[in-house]
Amino acid sequence: MHVVKASDQFPPSLLSGDNRVRLESWLATQAGASRVTVTEDGRLGGGAISLNLAVTLDIVGGPLAGRHACVLRAEGGGRISASIGKLREFVVLRAAFAAGVMAPEPLIACDDPAVLGHDFYIMRRVEGLGAGHAVTRSEAAQPELARELGRQLGLLHRITPETEGLDRLGDAPDCPAQETLAQYRRWFGDLARRDPVIAWGLRWMEVNAPLPGAVVLCHRDFRTGNYLVKDGALAAILDWEFAGFSDPMEDLGWFCARSWRFRRLDREAGGIADRADFYAGYEETSGRRVDPARVAYWETAAYLRWAAIAVEQGLRHSSDAEPSLELALTGRMLPEIEMDMLRHLRAIGGMAAAGMAPGAVEKVA
Amino acid sequence: MRANPDARGLLQIAASTFRSDVLPHVAPEARFAALMVANALDIAEREFKGLDAAGHSMLDALALLYGEDADDALSGDELRRRVEALQHRLCIEIAAGDFDQDGQDVLMDSLEAIVEARLGISNPKALGQQ
Repeated sequence: MHVVKASDQFPPSLLSGDNRVRLESWLATQAGASRVTVTEDGRLGGGAISLNLAVTLDIVGGPLAGRHACVLRAEGGGRISASIGKLREFVVLRAAFAAGVMAPEPLIACDDPAVLGHDFYIMRRVEGLGAGHAVTRSEAAQPELARELGRQLGLLHRITPETEGLDRLGDAPDCPAQETLAQYRRWFGDLARRDPVIAWGLRWMEVNAPLPGAVVLCHRDFRTGNYLVKDGALAAILDWEFAGFSDPMEDLGWFCARSWRFRRLDREAGGIADRADFYAGYEETSGRRVDPARVAYWETAAYLRWAAIAVEQGLRHSSDAEPSLELALTGRMLPEIEMDMLRHLRAIGGMAAAGMAPGAVEKVA
Repeated sequence: MRANPDARGLLQIAASTFRSDVLPHVAPEARFAALMVANALDIAEREFKGLDAAGHSMLDALALLYGEDADDALSGDELRRRVEALQHRLCIEIAAGDFDQDGQDVLMDSLEAIVEARLGISNPKALGQQ
């Protein structure tokens, strides 16, 4: 999510004084080094919940000896319902990197509050352009970028709940659609009895819920704005803080949702190209076919998920938990997100008749 | 006693002055925050000006489903309560499956009109998109 700019919120004290000394000492022990020097290179944006700090590590001795441009990603104060926490995020990133996904290389994680007071991890820094408006500014479509993103997502989706090292993520859902629906109901709470658009979205999800199929590791925020592009090519996929096991089509629906097309609503794959380019790349590496009906289902779910997050962000402001103009304005985005959902439902032929085969949103294909 | 200019008048002139005299001179590092301030002032101004009109649009939209409950004479809190009551009723009916088989076209028209009324305040630019 690009809802909260870490740059607005990073506590200036995180690496000041004793914190830096403790971090350097802890890193030296972990890296088997004789000395580690941490230089702060500035705050980075991106990530709704996390605090991102660019750092350079100068490591003397040990297997990691040398100079490393890195990002220190710490748990912030503003964790929301969908977040998985920094240690689980580290585990996900490690699994993705090991599977060959273009994610920043994760180096080390820390759950000792005595070091910085928050859980955090350090990964290698990747340079590139990330902002959605900038990535979608190109006059020409970017089919190769979309195809590469599809390939990367396909690689990620080869990771299953049986993959080693993912125990921390908990059990995989038996039926992702039903579990997601139950989660959304909890998230929306009373709003589902006050806002008929939300009520309709939830009802639509319930009636059209597809039968359980494959369950894989999903990024759950795989979209334009959360990857870096350098010289027109993909450089890295970022923001793994919502990852979890789900229906693989969930990530495809999220990527194609109108909310993340920025300047180019007509380019349905993330504002950069046609769906066909993205889907083709996905099929090259995932070992499965894209199911457009399921993608359409999960695109509806995407609007509801984004709506729930926007509502929660607005409440973080309104409840005085975290007064912030950006959070307040995010809360006011609800009608926009709802309109996108209604346009999507119109485009796929509205509400399927009750009793239709589960998952059969035929008109979208 | 009502002061002159009132809150709405102050907000209006503050928003337009901010856009014309302040925003162009804001340093790049503060531009994002400044744009958010301008956006928030604009939303507040539109809400001051158009809340009752939006309420009536929503009531009209709900009248597509509940004609007998539309009432042009309502305003302020009374209008808000009527809209909320009808929206609540609609939520209950949707959740009960009343629109699973029939009436989806009217429902979709109604929902779109409700959201358009709210978008008119929060982000009118999004009204024109498809």
